[in-house]
Amino acid sequence: MKNGGINGQNDLELGKKNPQLTTLRKEPKQKKAFSEGKAGYLLIAPAMILIFLVAVWPVLQSFYFSLFDLRLNNPTKSEVHLSYNVDLERYLNNYPFLVTALDNEIREGNAAEQLEAAKSELKAIDDKLQKDGEVKSQYDAVNDKLMNFEQPGTDIRMVEVDRDIAEDYLKTTDSILTSLKKAAKETKLSQEDKIIGLASGLKDSIIKPNFIGLKHYKDNFGDTRMWKALGNTMTFTIISVAAELILGLAIALLINKAFFGRGLIRASILIPWAIPTAVSALMWKFLYDGQNGIIAKIFEDVGLINKMSNLLVTDTGAMFAVIFTDVWKTTPYMALLILAGLQTIPSSLYEASAIDGAGRWKQFTTITLPLLKSSILVALLFRTLDAFRVFDLIYVLTGGGPANSTETISILAYKVMFSQTNFGEGSALAVIVFICVAIISMLYIKFLGKDLLNDGRGN
Amino acid sequence: MKKKAGPLFYVFLVVFVLFVMFPFLWMLISSIKPLTELFGDKAFTPYTNHPTFKSYVSVFVDYPFLRYLWNSAVVATITTVYTVTVASFAAYAIARLDFRGKTFILGLVLSVTMFPQIATISPIYIFLKNLGLTNSYLGLIIPYTTFTLPLSIWLLVTFFRKIPSDLEEAAKIDGATLMQTYWKVIMPLAVPGMFTTAILVFIAAWNEFLFALTINTEEKYKTVPIGIAMFQGQFTIPWGEIAAATVVVTVPLVIMVLVFQRRIVSGLTSGSVKE
Repeated sequence: MKNGGINGQNDLELGKKNPQLTTLRKEPKQKKAFSEGKAGYLLIAPAMILIFLVAVWPVLQSFYFSLFDLRLNNPTKSEVHLSYNVDLERYLNNYPFLVTALDNEIREGNAAEQLEAAKSELKAIDDKLQKDGEVKSQYDAVNDKLMNFEQPGTDIRMVEVDRDIAEDYLKTTDSILTSLKKAAKETKLSQEDKIIGLASGLKDSIIKPNFIGLKHYKDNFGDTRMWKALGNTMTFTIISVAAELILGLAIALLINKAFFGRGLIRASILIPWAIPTAVSALMWKFLYDGQNGIIAKIFEDVGLINKMSNLLVTDTGAMFAVIFTDVWKTTPYMALLILAGLQTIPSSLYEASAIDGAGRWKQFTTITLPLLKSSILVALLFRTLDAFRVFDLIYVLTGGGPANSTETISILAYKVMFSQTNFGEGSALAVIVFICVAIISMLYIKFLGKDLLNDGRGN
Repeated sequence: MKKKAGPLFYVFLVVFVLFVMFPFLWMLISSIKPLTELFGDKAFTPYTNHPTFKSYVSVFVDYPFLRYLWNSAVVATITTVYTVTVASFAAYAIARLDFRGKTFILGLVLSVTMFPQIATISPIYIFLKNLGLTNSYLGLIIPYTTFTLPLSIWLLVTFFRKIPSDLEEAAKIDGATLMQTYWKVIMPLAVPGMFTTAILVFIAAWNEFLFALTINTEEKYKTVPIGIAMFQGQFTIPWGEIAAATVVVTVPLVIMVLVFQRRIVSGLTSGSVKE
């Protein structure tokens, strides 16, 4: 390995293959700023590209999807269409057969005049479609595939057409359909059903743009279920985070001393945090069970609820159960974060204030709280955001029930997307969650200031 | 304020530990009760005279639980190895090198850790579906990057910053080549931090629910959290099996927590980041 003698060009190439080498190479002082910067960008590039692709881009796309009427179970709405499109496969599965069927009828002399007119209209619209070069080439490609009984690929199936052509097409196919129906009523056609079916299939081959602007948002803001879900989310977040903070602070203050068995305490703090939320939710579902749940029975015995079977079937009971579980799972974690903050406060401060005659309460309010402020805010920020986007706990424990009384906004968005397969509206709800989270973070960061980022040592 | 602990304090500790561990202990008891004692009056007795391992056998025989464990292990391990590797480059650059826009990048990383998963799921789902990656390991590893990568970068930056830079300078003065400096000075010091990060990332990936629920719907590719959550049928809930499965996933975790508790705590508190 040559030492420092490599020029910038080689260095850069080397860096691509093995980024570690470049950064660790200490450049001569005068070149340092330049190449360090380059090396820095090279090193962060893979991570930044990944973050952009898997996190930033999907969020932007969610917003984009929310502007469309996107439904996965409806073939004409399963993709975003900004403009009019023709489904060529469908078109070519109808058009030629309709023409042949009309020819047969005309040959048999059934309503020949009317059918002849319809046929020429059809031909005219087909010519119009084929006039466009791009449409024509895809038209032929799909036609070839269909002739060979092959499935045309999704890349050639759809073709974009001008608004004028599309509207003309819709108008013409509509008038053809009505005139054919009229003809069928007046004269007996030998293949009546087939002709009408093909004509309406032809009409459906055009796919209208499903861009609907902010309609999903408007609908959601006028929907009581959305507001209820948002309210449930707020109730859950505020009560559970407040309880966790107070209990966590109390526990941290209590165990901030030398004692026998610290390891045991630390382990029992970490276990609820470390097990999958889905598993702990299921565990509590068993404990809350209306017939056999021990915790439900204890709650009944101490008079917290009047009947143990009421716990998970009443609105307040279910919300209480969900909050209680969350408090059980995350209070220890909160205590841990606050304890870490407490341990950074030098004990000399307490000694000095004791000499000055300050009591325990005064010490708490003048030393502990101010010095803990940033640890507490950081812990609160992460807990609030976590609670706000709660999903697995509620999904497993109550499924959002009874009667949507524990349905949070993430649960609602999930249901709309995956049970109703309405991705457009679901994405709008997801964007609402995102905006709420952004607002909450901004509020906290305003309080925290730059503490959080400056040194990376938040507490 | 380091005071000695009095007897009352130990009473408090016992109550605290009991409260926190109670659900696990109850699951442990329930998992060895025979089916008849899970319901009715016997449901509330904290012991059983007829211990049985039927529920444990059923978990592995009647449900593809081993398959779930294997799926979770594969997905979490690959995710951890690849994200920690990619993140270590980025974190090293952010912690040690001078370039413009560092604060912005760190801010971006931090805000991505706060992204709600639900906000990314619809495009990711459609993307994976179009590529035919639903019901595959890659189908989970890709979306798991959304939360594991920013988390790893955030934690590793903190760890790298703690390595004194004098050591690198000293090694250079002593005539060490770059490779020597890296492998003999930086790496040994960075390993504990990377290991801690890997533990936290592994736990986060192991526990993930929403992506696993929506993307891998086939029995063959379900992970442990989804597998257990789906034990409950339409009308009946097999509590015995659920209790046994809970014990099976919790025991290794308790051991891991006991072994690595100091590391986990240092990871959790260093960046004050959850999971």
